[in-house]
Amino acid sequence: MDLVSGYKGVVGLVFGNEKSGSSNEDSYVERLLDCISNGKLSEDRRTAMLELQSIVAESSNAQLAFGAMGFPVMMAILKEERDDVEMVRGALETLVSALTPIDHAKGPKNEIQPALMNADLLSGEADNISLLLSLLSEEDFYVRYYTLQLLTALLTNSPNRLQEAILTIPRGITRLMDMLMDREVIRNEALLLLTYLTREAEEIQKIVVFEGAFEKIFSIIKEEGGSDGGVVVQDCIELLNNLIRKNGSNQVLLRETIGFDPFMSILKLRGSTYSFTQQKTINLLSALETLNLLIMGGSEADHGKDANMLTNRTTLVQKKVLDHLLMLGVESQWAPVAVRCAALRCIGNLIAGHPKNLDALASKFLGEGPQEPALNSILRIILRTSSMQEFVAADYVFKSFCEKNADGQTMLASTLIPQPHSMAHAPVEEDVHMSFGSMLLQGLTLSENDGDLETCCRAASVLSHVMKDNIQCKERVLRIELEAPTPSLGAPEPLMHRVVKYLALASSMKNKDGKSSGNSYVEPIILKLLVTWLSDFPSAVNCFLDSRPHITYLLELVSNSSTTVYIKGLAAVLLGECVIYNKSVESGKDAFTIVDSISQKVGLTSYFLKFDEMQKSFLFTSARSTQPRKQLTRSASASMVEIEDVDENNLLDQKNEDHPVLSSIFDAPFVNLVRSLEVNIREKIVEVYGHPKSKVAVVPAELEQKSGESDREYIKRLKAFVEKQCSEIQDLLGRNATLAEDVATTGGGSSYARPEQGAGSDRVQVETLRRDLQEASKRLELLKAEKAKIESEASMYRSLAGKMESDLKSLSDAYNSLEQANFHLEKEVRGQQGVGGSLSVPDVEGIRAEAREEAQKESEAELNDLLVCLGQEQTKVEKLSARLLELGEDVDKLLEDIGEDLGLPADGEEEED
Amino acid sequence: MSYDYLFKYIIIGDTGVGKSCLLLQFTDKRFQPVHDLTIGVEFGARMVTIDGRPVKLQIWDTAGQESFRSITRSYYRGAAGALLVYDITRRETFNHLASWLEDARQHANPNMTIMLIGNKSDLAHRRAVSKEEGEQFAKENGLLFLEASARTAQNVEEAFIKTAAKILQNIQDGVFDVSNESSGIKVGYGRPQGPSGSNGAVAQRGGCCS
Repeated sequence: MDLVSGYKGVVGLVFGNEKSGSSNEDSYVERLLDCISNGKLSEDRRTAMLELQSIVAESSNAQLAFGAMGFPVMMAILKEERDDVEMVRGALETLVSALTPIDHAKGPKNEIQPALMNADLLSGEADNISLLLSLLSEEDFYVRYYTLQLLTALLTNSPNRLQEAILTIPRGITRLMDMLMDREVIRNEALLLLTYLTREAEEIQKIVVFEGAFEKIFSIIKEEGGSDGGVVVQDCIELLNNLIRKNGSNQVLLRETIGFDPFMSILKLRGSTYSFTQQKTINLLSALETLNLLIMGGSEADHGKDANMLTNRTTLVQKKVLDHLLMLGVESQWAPVAVRCAALRCIGNLIAGHPKNLDALASKFLGEGPQEPALNSILRIILRTSSMQEFVAADYVFKSFCEKNADGQTMLASTLIPQPHSMAHAPVEEDVHMSFGSMLLQGLTLSENDGDLETCCRAASVLSHVMKDNIQCKERVLRIELEAPTPSLGAPEPLMHRVVKYLALASSMKNKDGKSSGNSYVEPIILKLLVTWLSDFPSAVNCFLDSRPHITYLLELVSNSSTTVYIKGLAAVLLGECVIYNKSVESGKDAFTIVDSISQKVGLTSYFLKFDEMQKSFLFTSARSTQPRKQLTRSASASMVEIEDVDENNLLDQKNEDHPVLSSIFDAPFVNLVRSLEVNIREKIVEVYGHPKSKVAVVPAELEQKSGESDREYIKRLKAFVEKQCSEIQDLLGRNATLAEDVATTGGGSSYARPEQGAGSDRVQVETLRRDLQEASKRLELLKAEKAKIESEASMYRSLAGKMESDLKSLSDAYNSLEQANFHLEKEVRGQQGVGGSLSVPDVEGIRAEAREEAQKESEAELNDLLVCLGQEQTKVEKLSARLLELGEDVDKLLEDIGEDLGLPADGEEEED
Repeated sequence: MSYDYLFKYIIIGDTGVGKSCLLLQFTDKRFQPVHDLTIGVEFGARMVTIDGRPVKLQIWDTAGQESFRSITRSYYRGAAGALLVYDITRRETFNHLASWLEDARQHANPNMTIMLIGNKSDLAHRRAVSKEEGEQFAKENGLLFLEASARTAQNVEEAFIKTAAKILQNIQDGVFDVSNESSGIKVGYGRPQGPSGSNGAVAQRGGCCS
């Protein structure tokens, strides 16, 4: 590589600064290419090639320029100048450089990436790939080496295109496979290439297996020393995992013709079992991943694949894989936590739902000298480990062991026999001889003295698996009674009551601190135990309710604002179980009482809100979706191993509610149980309200007086009956009031952001109320319509009556007038008959005289008036004449003139006279 | 799991002639009247005994559809035996044999043993290809021949076993270089050689693959 640095100098000289402009680089690349393709002297061409390689390796502008012009030139060399090994090497190396991204910390991110573009250009033509594959048969080591590097670079940049291209090239994959038998450097390079090539490409996976990949992989692993080997072993296992991932056909081939032995020898610890290097840890983790791929199948529920997976489980356990796993997960004290956890999870996966494997695990014994059942050892891990992850993984083994395994549960539960108090606190070192049950009970009660409930809740988790869906086991555990911590303090108490006490203790401890102390899962785990216990088991409900404070405590827990949604939710579920599985008729313990206290102390709305809040939480929504597969790539795996350890420290610091332990508590079956319980609880509570205590059965026949009954007795009986009804009405009124209150708060509840789904029961009640309302209003509507109809009818009749009346009146009027007319006429007739014609003449004479008299009087009065007027005029004339005389006027003449003027009226006056 | 030899087989032929059913009958001893179209290739395996020697058969059942040809061709080279299947009730599947054979000759190991199978012999009433024609074609091209029925299992065992016997015969005749990966033959490891124990070539190569 001295040469390269030398050329770097030349390039530096030519360009000075790299930023001096891309056109310079363009033309320089062009010049070099021209020299390579047209140069006469082979020496010049080789020099040009070297120079081109070094500049393409350094400058992205040069990469860009090379991509635009260089490929045909390089391909021509690879095609036609095979004999010139040096040129072929140079061309390949240049191509590799052109496809290798240059890290530009300074460059903007969104800049086009020339390396990517070049990969795209090169892989665009299938001929190019076929040409490259043919180079793998070349003698020269570097040619093969660079070709593999080039193919790997192409695969990382455009995997799909290359995968497709390689499938269409006859014997393309065969050539690659042959590289696995090549020299070590080539082989390792080929392993990486094949790993990329087989990723999510089923057909390629099958061809690679057809070409004998499994044999080669296992022989390399063996050569390299199994799990103690280096990174090559990791690469091999990664390729192996690619080949069997979701590929049933290849799994069958591995099982039927290679067998699982070579694989399992990777898991076998040999030599220095106490030294676990990081590489060994990664190798083992990868191999455990292989195991999981074989026993977990694909995510799709394909029946054929399911059968294949079951056969894998059977075969693996027949091959004693459990021994290796128990060694890694339980016995080896030096195995890193990550490996131990992965091994435990594999054990869980191997046995889940597989009767034979369940038996196989149950009958395993561990230890040298005094042996103990493997399950006891795993329980001890649960109770003692300081690692949260390990607890969860070991707990998973029990969860898998108990799932649909009634016999196994019974076997475990049969050993649950309480020890005398003195023995329960014997030194733990001696517990190799302890039975499973004793250890569990001891774990459950161990911590009550030091106040640390960690061990208690872990034991509770195991106990809940043992009882899940198994009435016999629930019953057995229910019968367990514990001595009081200090024997002097009263009688022994049922285990259940002790458990509730621990629950209360856990929450009170938290309250004291004012903050949750890392163990945010203690209460949920204990609550889960109780929820599992009470589920479908009235005797447990009865026992739980034997102590009155229990319900009060639960109610407090539900309404406590400082607890998490999970605690509130689970407490609500537990309360609900006390309702739906309540067979008690005792007052104070029956379902009605509990529903009443829920609605009084918590309120139904807010009670059901707890379910909703829990359902909405992340854990519930994520419980069903399967976790995405973590790919154990070289880079990822190294960091993973470190993370495993770091994780735990972080978790203790975080007051994160969605704790990993919580997510294992809320597994899919439990989430489903809670969901189905919730539905039942809602229905039951509505039912309780819908059909209240049937104290008074109203049978009409009873209200009748019985035949032999005296009146007094009858009255007494009726009175009693009425009293009963009265008290019931009181009850109902009370309940009604709470409901109304609830409804009222629901109505106004929008202010505190009620979820869309709403509290179910309120919804149910609101629904019924609304339905009632609708019905009532419908009836009202109907009545209104009827009323209107009747009204209109009435008014019609009224008007009809009025008309009739008026008709009648007019008729009678007509009759009256007729009668009157008749009367008049009769009278006239009579008058005319009596007086005859003598009356008319004197009458006319009288009237005439009267009229004349009247007219005379009238004219006399008028005459008097005129005379007065005349007199007044006369005096006026006299006065004026005198005045005129004084003024010297000729009065006579003036008077004459006036006389002429007034002549006519005076004449008129006189004429009237 | 131990065997003296391991032979790789492929099953080829037109789509719908019953390749997958023949394999299922051979490996699982059952018949599935409705079978999904094979995508790419499927794998099956079974142990048989030939001349008292345990022989493992690895069988790749290929998709008959044209669109998968480029994929299925990848399996030709590494196979020691091929079952070339046609349907006696469909003439065209017989007519296509020549092109299948050409494909095989082009991509496969020249020493590959080919067994021609006229499948669905239970449907004699709908026969479109006579047994004689099949025999004739096999003879002309140097193939083994059997008429078989995946439904009734008639001749199914025989077809696989006769092919294996022929391959074994070829090995003993020294036709194969069994150390060559591409022969489709592997010698079992960690196991004493068969009862005859006379085969020098085999003894020589024992354990080469471990």
